[in-house]
Amino acid sequence: MRIAAALLTGIIIALMGVLLGAWWTPFVVGVALGLVVRRPIVAIPLGAISGFFSWMLPLAGQEVRYDLGPTTLSLAEIMGFGHAGSLPVILTLAVGTLLGLTGAWLACAARLVVPAPR
Amino acid sequence: MTLDPAVEAPARAAKARAGEPRSGQATGARRRLPPRHHLANLAAAIVVSALVLYVAFFGAGPLPALGPAFNPTTGAWTMAADAQVTDRTISVGPFGGGLQQPVKVVLEKDGTAHIAAGTDHDLFFATGYVHAKFRLFQMDLMRRQGAGRLSEIVGSAALDSDRFELQLGLLRTAWAEWNALAQDDPVKDALTAYSEGVNARISEAEVHSQLDPMFTLLGYKPAAWRPVDSLLIKGDMTQTLNFTDTPLLMAQLNKSLGADLTSEWFPILPPNQQSPYDPGPYPPAKTAPIESMRAVTDAEAQSASALYEKLASLPSGLIATGGASNNWAVAGAKSMSGGAMMAGDPHLHLTLPAIWFQMTQDSPGFHVSGVSIPGTPGVLIGHNQHIAWSLTDAQNQQTFFYEEKQDAAHPNQYMWNGAWQTFKTVAYDIPVLHGQTQHLTVKLTVHGPVISDRGITTSVWWAGNLPSQDLGVLFHIGQASNFKEFRDALRDWYSPTHNFVYADDQGNIGLISAGYFPLVAKGQPWLPMPGTGEYDVTGTIPYDQIPQAYDPPSNILWSANQRQVTNDYPYYIGTAANFFDNGYRANEIHRVLSQPGKLSPDDMMALQTDTRDFLASEIVPVLLQSLDGQQLDAKESAARDLLKSWDYRMEAGSPAAAIWDYFWGWYMDETFHPWWKSRAVPVDMQEVIDMLGQDLEIWTLSDPANRVFTAPGVGARTAVDAQRTAFHRVIKDMAHLLGGDPKSWTWGRVHTRVLENLAQISGLSYGPRADRGDANTPLAAGGFPSTHGPSWRMVVDWGAHIFEGVYPGGQSENPASSWYADRIDTWWQGRLKPMLTADEATSSDGASTRTWTLQP
Repeated sequence: MRIAAALLTGIIIALMGVLLGAWWTPFVVGVALGLVVRRPIVAIPLGAISGFFSWMLPLAGQEVRYDLGPTTLSLAEIMGFGHAGSLPVILTLAVGTLLGLTGAWLACAARLVVPAPR
Repeated sequence: MTLDPAVEAPARAAKARAGEPRSGQATGARRRLPPRHHLANLAAAIVVSALVLYVAFFGAGPLPALGPAFNPTTGAWTMAADAQVTDRTISVGPFGGGLQQPVKVVLEKDGTAHIAAGTDHDLFFATGYVHAKFRLFQMDLMRRQGAGRLSEIVGSAALDSDRFELQLGLLRTAWAEWNALAQDDPVKDALTAYSEGVNARISEAEVHSQLDPMFTLLGYKPAAWRPVDSLLIKGDMTQTLNFTDTPLLMAQLNKSLGADLTSEWFPILPPNQQSPYDPGPYPPAKTAPIESMRAVTDAEAQSASALYEKLASLPSGLIATGGASNNWAVAGAKSMSGGAMMAGDPHLHLTLPAIWFQMTQDSPGFHVSGVSIPGTPGVLIGHNQHIAWSLTDAQNQQTFFYEEKQDAAHPNQYMWNGAWQTFKTVAYDIPVLHGQTQHLTVKLTVHGPVISDRGITTSVWWAGNLPSQDLGVLFHIGQASNFKEFRDALRDWYSPTHNFVYADDQGNIGLISAGYFPLVAKGQPWLPMPGTGEYDVTGTIPYDQIPQAYDPPSNILWSANQRQVTNDYPYYIGTAANFFDNGYRANEIHRVLSQPGKLSPDDMMALQTDTRDFLASEIVPVLLQSLDGQQLDAKESAARDLLKSWDYRMEAGSPAAAIWDYFWGWYMDETFHPWWKSRAVPVDMQEVIDMLGQDLEIWTLSDPANRVFTAPGVGARTAVDAQRTAFHRVIKDMAHLLGGDPKSWTWGRVHTRVLENLAQISGLSYGPRADRGDANTPLAAGGFPSTHGPSWRMVVDWGAHIFEGVYPGGQSENPASSWYADRIDTWWQGRLKPMLTADEATSSDGASTRTWTLQP
C-alpha cells in the first residue's frame, strides 16, 4: 500500500509539474522515489511509471479534446519520420519515462554508495 | 525514513553480522569503500542521467531539446490546440496594450479575416495580432532573412545568405525609411500599432504556451516585433522581384561569345513581336541615346564571373530570376455586365504557408478587401468600395553594377568625380547557432555597397536601396476612389516597379508601370560600368512619361511582364534579357481579350487558367511543314500526327504537349549548344533560355538561314535541318524515357507542380502532382517540377458586383490546422471563392464563422 501511495503521489506531483510547464518534474519525482523506496528493483520502475503517466495523461487529454491525428503526422514530418505519426508519440512518452527512470536510478545508485545518516 | 522495511531490516542485519562500524562511530577507523559494482552502478546512473538530461535540456545533433519540445502541455503538441479556432474575447491589456477601443474580428470558415475597428490605429493593431496568430513563424523567418539573422537559428548553413543581405543593405534601408517618417505620419502610427498587435500576440502565446511549434522545435523565442521589421519584409519582396544579376551574365557572354553575337542574341529591344500595352505616342527623350555593345576586358569578365558565382550560390529567392504574373482589365463597354472588370494573378514561389493572407480591413479610414503579406500592415492587392487593383512585376532594370577604380597609393579609397573618396564602412555581428559569432564589415560607395572584392572591386546600385515610403502609397491606393487618386498615390512608389492594373465602379480601366526607372548619364548599363562618376544613375524617367494607359479605345489593358512599350519608346528601361518576359503570355492574353464580343467573369477565370502555348501555336505548324516528305518511323509518325491534331493546350493529359515541350528543348539545344561548346561560354544556357527562345522563334519564322544554325562543327544548316534533327532526337529520347507508345507520353507524366513548405520540410509540402500549363501559358507552370505560379487569383466585375479570389494554401501556418492547405483544391481546379464582407460571411454561413473581440 505504501508503495502504491508513493507511486500515486509521485504521479500527481509529476503531472502537476508537467501541467505547469515544468517538464523535468518527473526526474525530480524519480529522484524522490529512489530515495524513499530503497529497493532499486522497485524504485526504478516506479520512477519510470510516474514519468510515463505524467507525460501520457496530458497527451491523452489533448487527444480527447483536439484529436492529435493531424498533429502527430505533422510532427513526424517535421522530425523527418515521414508518415510515421506514432513515432512522435513514442518519443514523447519515452522522454517522460526516461526522466522518471533515470531520476530514480540515480537516487538509488547514490543511496547504495552513500550510506544514509543515522 | 524508508517506505520499504523489507529492504531496510535485512540490510541492517547484514551490516550487524559483518560487524561493520557505523558511520562516524569509530573515530580514526578506516572507512570501507562501497563495493565496486555499486560505484559502477552510480557511475552508469550519472552518465545515463546526464545524457538524458542533456538531450532533454539542450538537444543533440538534429534532435531539438526534447524536454521543452515535446512537453505535452507547452511543447510542440500545442499545435493541436492552436489548430482549434473558437469564439473568443481577448483582453490585450495584459499583453502590452496599445488598443484604443474594442475590435471585432470575424473569421470565415476558411479563415478569411474580417477586421472592423473604430480607429485606424486599432485596425492596424488588430491586423498585427491576427497576422501573428496565424503566421508568426513565417513573419519571423522573413524578417530574419532581410536582417541577416538566419544563422542565429539554423547555423552556419545560412551564413552566406546573412552576409549577402547585410552587404546588400535591406536593414540599412529599412532603418532609413523608418527614420525618415515624420512623427505624425500615418504610416508611422500604422507600423507602430501593427507592431503592438504582433507583440500582444507574442506575449499572449508565450504566456499560454501557444507559440508555433517551429519555435519550440528550433529552440528559440521570437523577439519583439519592431516597425522596422515590417519594412524589412517589404525589402525582402523587393529583392526577390527586382535584384538582378543580368549585367554580370552579359559581361561573361560578351567575353565568350564576342560583342557582335552578344548584341545580336541578347539585344536591348525584343526581337520577337510582343504585345505592349502602352503603344505610345511617346514624348521625346531627355537622356543619352542607347549605345552599341562594347567589348569586355578579361579583368572585367573575371570579376563578373566571380561575383556571378557568388550570387549563384545563394539560396533561391535572393536574386530575381525572372517574373511571371498576369493582370488585365476590361472596360465597361466590353463587359457583359456593363461594368469594368479586372483580373490579376501575381506569380510567385508557391509555398505553404502561402505568401498571402486574405482579409478585409474596415475602419474610419479604410475599407479594403484583398490579400496582405504577413508582417506588413496593409492590403497589397484587392479592392475597396470604388476601385480594384492588382499588380505584375514591371521587370525594368533596377540593378546596376559599378567597377570602382582603386589604386595602391590610395588604400581604402576609390576614384569618383575626379577625387579619391574614402569608403564608408558599417560593421555587423552575425550570431551563429552552435558556432562563433561572425564579424562582417561592409564598404559603402556613392553607388551603394561593395558586394565583391575579388578582382575589380564592384559595388551595386539597386533601386531597392532607395528609401521609399511604399507602405504609404499602399494606404493611399486603398483609400483612392478614382483613377486620379490612384495614379497620384503611385507617384511615390519606387521599388519593385510594378504594373498596377486598375478598374473602377464607373467603368474605367487603367494600367501604370509605377516605380523607379533609373536613367544613367551614359554608358552601357547592361554591363558592369566604371564607377568613376560619368556613368552614374542620374534620376528617373519623369512620372508622366513612364509606361501607362487609361481607358484605351480597345477597352482592354493587360500586362504579363512583357516590355510595356514599343521599340519607339525613347528611354532605356532594360534589355530584353533583363528580364522582360518573352511575351507569349501577354500575346495569348491579348489574343483572347481582343476577340470580338463581350466578356464575363467566367471568361476572366478561364483566361487565368488558359493553357494555350502561344509559342507552340507559331512553331508547331512550321515544324510540321519541315517534316513533310521526311522518312519517319512508326513512333515519329504517331508523334507527328499527335502534333497535327493538337490545339496547343498544355493539358496534363495531352501527349502532344509533352512532345512539343521536349521538341522545343532539343531544338534549342541543337541550335545553341554547339556555340556554347565551341566558345566555352561559362553561363549555363538555362540562365538565358528565355532570351535565346525569342531569338530562335524569330529566326524560325522569318530567318531560317540565320548563321546561328551553321554552328561551329555542324556544317552548313538551316532552321529546317535543325528542326528535323531535333525531332528525331526527341522521339528517341521520349521513347527511352516514357515507353514506345507516343499516345502515352502525356504532359502530366513529366510535368508536376509542388507547393513547397516554407521551412523546407518536404513532408509538409503539397505534391508533386501532375499539372497543366508551362512557362509560356497564362496558367504559368514553368519548371520540373513547377514551384512558381499564380500565388493569388482575383476577378472583379464592378457591373455584376462580383469579387472573387483564391490562393493556393490556407490562412494558417500550422500544419495541423484545417486552414493549412484547404484552398489548394479550389485553386487547382481553377475556381475562385467569393470575397465576402464580414456581414455576408456571417449571414451566409454564420454557424461556421468565428468571432473574436479584442478588448483594450
